[in-house]
Amino acid sequence: MRGIATVPTYVVMQPTTLCNLDCSYCYLPMRREDRRMPVEVAEAVASAVRPWSAAGRFSVVWHGGEPLAAGREHFAALLRPFGPEVEHHVQTNATLIDEAWCDFFATHDIRVSVSVDGPVARNTDRVNLAGKPAYDRIRRGIDALRGHGLPFSALCVVGRPSPGLATELYAYFLELGCDVLGVNVEELEGVNTRDNRHSAAEVTAFWAELVGAWRRDPRIHLREVEWSLRYVGAVLDGTADDVLPRRLDPIPTVAHDGSVVLLSPELAGFSDPRYGDFTSGNVLTTPLAEILAGAVGTPWIREFLDGVDACRAQCPYFGFCGGAHAANRYFEHGRFDGTVTDHCRNSKIGLLEGVLDHARDHEPTAV
Amino acid sequence: MPEIMNPRRSEPVEADPVTARVHDARDGLAALLREAEAARRDRAESIAKGDSAVCAWNHFENIPTFYNWNNRPR
Repeated sequence: MRGIATVPTYVVMQPTTLCNLDCSYCYLPMRREDRRMPVEVAEAVASAVRPWSAAGRFSVVWHGGEPLAAGREHFAALLRPFGPEVEHHVQTNATLIDEAWCDFFATHDIRVSVSVDGPVARNTDRVNLAGKPAYDRIRRGIDALRGHGLPFSALCVVGRPSPGLATELYAYFLELGCDVLGVNVEELEGVNTRDNRHSAAEVTAFWAELVGAWRRDPRIHLREVEWSLRYVGAVLDGTADDVLPRRLDPIPTVAHDGSVVLLSPELAGFSDPRYGDFTSGNVLTTPLAEILAGAVGTPWIREFLDGVDACRAQCPYFGFCGGAHAANRYFEHGRFDGTVTDHCRNSKIGLLEGVLDHARDHEPTAV
Repeated sequence: MPEIMNPRRSEPVEADPVTARVHDARDGLAALLREAEAARRDRAESIAKGDSAVCAWNHFENIPTFYNWNNRPR
């Protein structure tokens, strides 16, 4: 894997900066301000993605802020410029989901992913603007999805891996009824400066336990397990070099004002004396394809690619990982050409080692 | 799921320690991989399924967008 692809597989869109929650681990700046994306931005993006979506599967992810805080009327106006071949996804805190939103998702064929951290006691970081727990509203929103028979994915943030937690969480998500689950160990990122260092033994044991819990009832597509097994299967087949894509997906994030940040959506809204505002252009003035074609002209991206090369040269986990994420490098190291991050340790290295520990500990017995 | 039966093997000295550890766990991984494949079939991920949040296993690189491994929004 070398360089950055000029055609993405998806675009992240920020319909509003506003969020109605104030989760303590959130990385987003401006989440208390309601800066809405003008329809002209959506039109510019829709025009850019038309040839890409005609050539293959293509998605738009409506992220935030809380995307539903934009309101149905405005959201519908932002969707309107896109052709029917474009898949739409929304990542939501679920608190605003009601009957009307369920109808909206069904009408517009929007795939839904909810953010929830497990049972109520595990959601203490997810609070509203007054600091009150948000779980009851989150659960009501998810129950509305279930009541409408709408499939959904879930993202769960783990603040501190500890014995028993993985089993508890997996049982919860089985009961919740999600089709897909992603587990994110909390990251030091954006405006979240909480320490995310954990012992290697702690995180490896967490992932090993999660594999065990999943294996007992693998109804859920568990992102981390699937990716790990895909890699180890390729290693055993001798095809590990084919696991990573040939080039990095640029993952353009289009902010509310049309500005484009590549590779790491978490960088949107930040600036640095050395790197500027991390943007590579604005879709209101430059076609998105042109912005992507000139990606390496953005100074921080050149430095990031040096960092990926360093990961490739130095890290035995590179074939599994593809290199530390840009935002983790920046927010942990203050630059982009460093290598291993605590996010790597928690969510890549510890994960793979946890899967291997589980496999070694559960080898079939000879008969 | 098999119970813990085997002691850990020592790690062979190879150029790539991660690859070596994967091979060291081959037997356990093979069983896990078989179960995972069966689970995917049960979840109907190996065929296009329009009403699933997962969609199709064939679209692995673009499973609902938040699941791109190289980077992803949260």
